[in-house]
Amino acid sequence: MHDSKLGVFGLISDAGPVVLFVLAVLLLFSVVSWAIIAYKFNYVRKSRYESAAFLDYFFEVYNVEKIFTESENYRNGSLPRVFRAGYVEYRAMSDLSDVRQARARVARAIRRESNAEAKRLAALVPFLATVGNTAPFIGLFGTVWGIMSSFQNIGLTQSASLAAVAPGISEALIATAAGLAAAIPAVIGFNYFTHEIGTIQQDLDEFSSEFVSVCIKEQ
Amino acid sequence: MNNSRKPIHTTDKKFLFWLGAAAAMHAAVIALSLFLWMLDANRHIRTRTIDVTFVSLPGSEGSRQSSDKNASMEAASYQSPEKPLARKKEKSVPEEPQVPPKKIPEEPVKPREKENPADISKTLERLKQNVDKKPQTQPASGSINSALAALQQKVKSDGNSGTGTGSGGRGGVGDGFGSGGNADPYLAQIASIIQNNWEFSNLMLRNSSGIEVYVRIDILPDGTIREIVFDRRAPIEYMNNSVKRALERSSPLRPLPPGKGKPDLWVGFVFTPEGIKKK
Repeated sequence: MHDSKLGVFGLISDAGPVVLFVLAVLLLFSVVSWAIIAYKFNYVRKSRYESAAFLDYFFEVYNVEKIFTESENYRNGSLPRVFRAGYVEYRAMSDLSDVRQARARVARAIRRESNAEAKRLAALVPFLATVGNTAPFIGLFGTVWGIMSSFQNIGLTQSASLAAVAPGISEALIATAAGLAAAIPAVIGFNYFTHEIGTIQQDLDEFSSEFVSVCIKEQ
Repeated sequence: MNNSRKPIHTTDKKFLFWLGAAAAMHAAVIALSLFLWMLDANRHIRTRTIDVTFVSLPGSEGSRQSSDKNASMEAASYQSPEKPLARKKEKSVPEEPQVPPKKIPEEPVKPREKENPADISKTLERLKQNVDKKPQTQPASGSINSALAALQQKVKSDGNSGTGTGSGGRGGVGDGFGSGGNADPYLAQIASIIQNNWEFSNLMLRNSSGIEVYVRIDILPDGTIREIVFDRRAPIEYMNNSVKRALERSSPLRPLPPGKGKPDLWVGFVFTPEGIKKK
């Protein structure tokens, strides 16, 4: 009793294999994008929150041992993680007589961990940019293909009435709609994470030297 | 270094969890929209339309012959007891403003009255006599009910004698309507209902000659139109759509009379810009 030409699902069921493939790819893109968005949102939010809390404690106490003990409570924060790497390097040094060398080693360890943290923060985010850039084009490809098939059918039926043209075009346009549906959240997510990760990286650059001076000053 | 690598494993697991969650979310959204679509489709039940243009079904010739022979029963002449009344009221509204112009010629008549003022009473009496005589000379023409009763009697007599002119009416699929001929009051009623629900304007057509839509409908015992089959479509989609809309709007029709169309009843119509004819 249902009119098969009605609704999105009716149109999808009538779509050709290429359009269906395009829709499947876009669905996969959308699933992965949302997974990245959810995962990264939690990751970045925790990192920012714990970094801010750790910084408050850091400027409050200014005792490297206490700070290290407290940093164990902030396992997800980027700044505590970088600080711990510097502290571990500092503790690993047996000869602390050469202050310049000690500073250089601690600074190197902090930079290394800072880079690793930046990579960790930025991981998977480029995929969002890829989806945001390519999904509309993939959808457009599906639409162009669908319209091509539609025009072929029009040629076969030798009828150019609206009833003959419209279903094929609306069926093809679903691919563009799906492409946009996949791309829009990905672009929003990408912009948000780029901004957040940039802020964290700025903090890392800013406080790396502070950590070095705190570690060496204690000596 | 070990400390920094350990969380990567846990992050992989976390990401897999979110991947599964996103897949589940997409599946849920698709299922929900599918459910809503089906719910909406059930709410607005649409009759299934099958386009079988250029396919000749067995018996279709007979039905066409019968329609030709029986002088094409114009559905507009029949009035169903429900909707046509409402239409009549609507039509009567624009007629009322037309009454005042009729009074205009009465004023020029006045000079005639001046010419023969004594004849007024005589003329009135003559008119009264004429009015009294008319019902006697034409007893059945004024009453639709009596006309319908006469038609029903004719149908009964045709059905009993078995010499009905609708012998070829079993065309198409399922039980046909040939036993009752073209003067079946039920068919006349449903044709009238469909006619009243048919919104079509000749102004939309450049050339209305030769435009016909052959449609068969499958009527369930409760009067619901289960299926609409287009045997022949008009070259103009506007007309095809208007026919489809009229049939959808007319469903459910009046319930089938007892003994008519045991599982269902197939009825064919020919829609032309002039009106509906029964196939």
